[in-house]
Amino acid sequence: MSYGSTPVLVDVGLTVPAGAGVCVTGENGIGKSTLLRCVSSLQQPGAGSVRVFGAVPGDSPGFWRAVATTVEPPTWYPGLTTREHAELVCRAHGQDPDSSGIDEALDRFGLAGHADAIPPSLSSGQKQRLTLALVLLRPSSLLILDEPEQRLDPEGRAMVAGMLADYLAGGGSLLLASHDDKFAAASGADLVSMEQLTGPGPA
Amino acid sequence: MTAAVVALRPVRRWIRKAQASHRDRGDMLTTVYTVVFSIAVLSVMAQDTLRAVFSPLVPHLSGVGALATAACSTGLIFLALRRLGPVSVTRPAAYFLLTAPVSRPRLLAPSLLAAALGAAVAGGAAAFGILGNTVAAGSILLVATGALAGVLLTLLASAAQSRPRLASLTDTVARIALALGLAGLVAEAVGWTPPALAGEAAASVVVTVTGALAVLALAALLLGVRDLARTPNDAILESAKTAGTLADSVYGIEPSFFAEMLERRYWASRRLRSARLPRRLPPLTGQDLLLARRRPARLLWTAASTALPLLLISVPRWVLVIALLAGMVIAAKATTATIKTDAGNPVLLRMLGLTSRQVVQQRLWLPAVLGAVWATTALGLLQAAGALPPGPWWALGPALGAIGGAVAIRAARAGFVRNDLIPIDTPMGSVPTGPIVYAFAGVDLLLLALPTALPLLQHLPATWTTVAVQTGAAALGIRAYLSWTTDPERVGLAK
Repeated sequence: MSYGSTPVLVDVGLTVPAGAGVCVTGENGIGKSTLLRCVSSLQQPGAGSVRVFGAVPGDSPGFWRAVATTVEPPTWYPGLTTREHAELVCRAHGQDPDSSGIDEALDRFGLAGHADAIPPSLSSGQKQRLTLALVLLRPSSLLILDEPEQRLDPEGRAMVAGMLADYLAGGGSLLLASHDDKFAAASGADLVSMEQLTGPGPA
Repeated sequence: MTAAVVALRPVRRWIRKAQASHRDRGDMLTTVYTVVFSIAVLSVMAQDTLRAVFSPLVPHLSGVGALATAACSTGLIFLALRRLGPVSVTRPAAYFLLTAPVSRPRLLAPSLLAAALGAAVAGGAAAFGILGNTVAAGSILLVATGALAGVLLTLLASAAQSRPRLASLTDTVARIALALGLAGLVAEAVGWTPPALAGEAAASVVVTVTGALAVLALAALLLGVRDLARTPNDAILESAKTAGTLADSVYGIEPSFFAEMLERRYWASRRLRSARLPRRLPPLTGQDLLLARRRPARLLWTAASTALPLLLISVPRWVLVIALLAGMVIAAKATTATIKTDAGNPVLLRMLGLTSRQVVQQRLWLPAVLGAVWATTALGLLQAAGALPPGPWWALGPALGAIGGAVAIRAARAGFVRNDLIPIDTPMGSVPTGPIVYAFAGVDLLLLALPTALPLLQHLPATWTTVAVQTGAAALGIRAYLSWTTDPERVGLAK
């Protein structure tokens, strides 16, 4: 995988066993986000192959019902409040909005006081928390998160790490990129550096 | 601590010099030539249309009709001024000069004067058009009266920019003037005989009134320039952003920049209260319903606009047909901002895990219903006014509305203007194809409305066969649109 003449991912191999968590670490610009985007099918590698649950990732509804990601910067629907975005996500996945814990999730992410706000009016940290709340509210089998600890205060980081550990304990799989080793360890993910991923065989 | 006020003129002169040094002198001449040439060509091309609009052979406006048109023009000019500022600066000036210790009136006066000039031209043109269309003769001096009224409207809008209460009051009055004006025109078009006004105003009265307005405008202009210092920074920044985005939209031939800014600004100014999405409807249809209910003013204007085709009873038939189709599509566009969001970036669709077919099917419902109600009402009103040949015209509304909904959805899915398409070379210069393709996105589906448009154009009666053919065409066309442009196995709205 390269951007123009600049190679970013060369001979990278990574396997995340179902039900396990892996956190990719490394300095800025080393290709963590690009790797996550390739796994999410949002970017096509120039060579090599990516398989998610045994299939090529793509635009199929089956893939996007199984995979929830925060790799992309979010957009928001006009005229819809924070709480309504959460309810819409639940309804689209066939969940009963009354029993899916929307208010509890907003409360845990410190957004209960902003339930009636439109997301563009939130701060960047609050938007980050809302995105995390949405991906954790909806059902999924694999979470792909790009630096979920960013823009969270220490208390928020501990809380999100705990929720990711619960997600893993519930049978979900987790792939994340992070600069915070403590956060990754607390979330139950195994740490692997980008340097470890390069080589002839999968790490 | 007090800071000395820096003279603005040398700063502006320096900026102009620096800008000129980066510009080729030939560029300026080319721009001037292009503008002058374009205006000349367009004037010649639109000569007959302009004459028909401003000075028709058979004037039709009564005295009350002329007043109603004047009320509409006043409301429209004032609301446009309020939307643009009118006190504004360029975006670079907002960044560098608004925060500098320069004289605030001197910084802002050029924009006020430019807005006053623009409003004077618009007011004069409106007065000229009203004079040309009114049965009774009027003094040509009224054109100057209209221009002065434009200047006064600019100064009122400028005062409102720094006074929220005045802004709210004047905006409401302008909207009421527009609504009353339109209502008067519609009532007259459907046969209401307005009371005759007193004969033509004496020349001396017109001269006195215009002279008084001139004195008033001059005094108000002087006071207005002095008053500029109290225009709050946030109001200036907002209008700078509006003007800048409008310029981006024009130069980039990308109307969505401006439309999205207005949409964002509207929702940012609203205080919402979370509601439950209707349980019995599919989630995206429920979301669209919520969105439509949150814009009651828009729904009200849409409902009122069903009467506007009545104004076109006496114009050529094709104008009425175009107005009917356009009105129906505009009504259907009330909730398509959600489709635009998804077409621009499908990140939320991936979060929802819905297929493109599910999305379009669920999002089509509300535009189709709004279009259907609009078309049924507009056709019913036209028939009640005796403007249509006999037949069940109202029954064509549901099928037409469904087509309007599909047109609105298809247009919203077009996303952004594509500037990578090859331009077409013509004798008048190169024509970019991207904006043309964008402008006509969705319009192609209006071919499905031919079973209604043809009898309307030929003034033939509608029959139940017409209704059946139109309903069949709409059903087949929309089904084909869904089959060809959506996929039950793909997330995302890209075609």
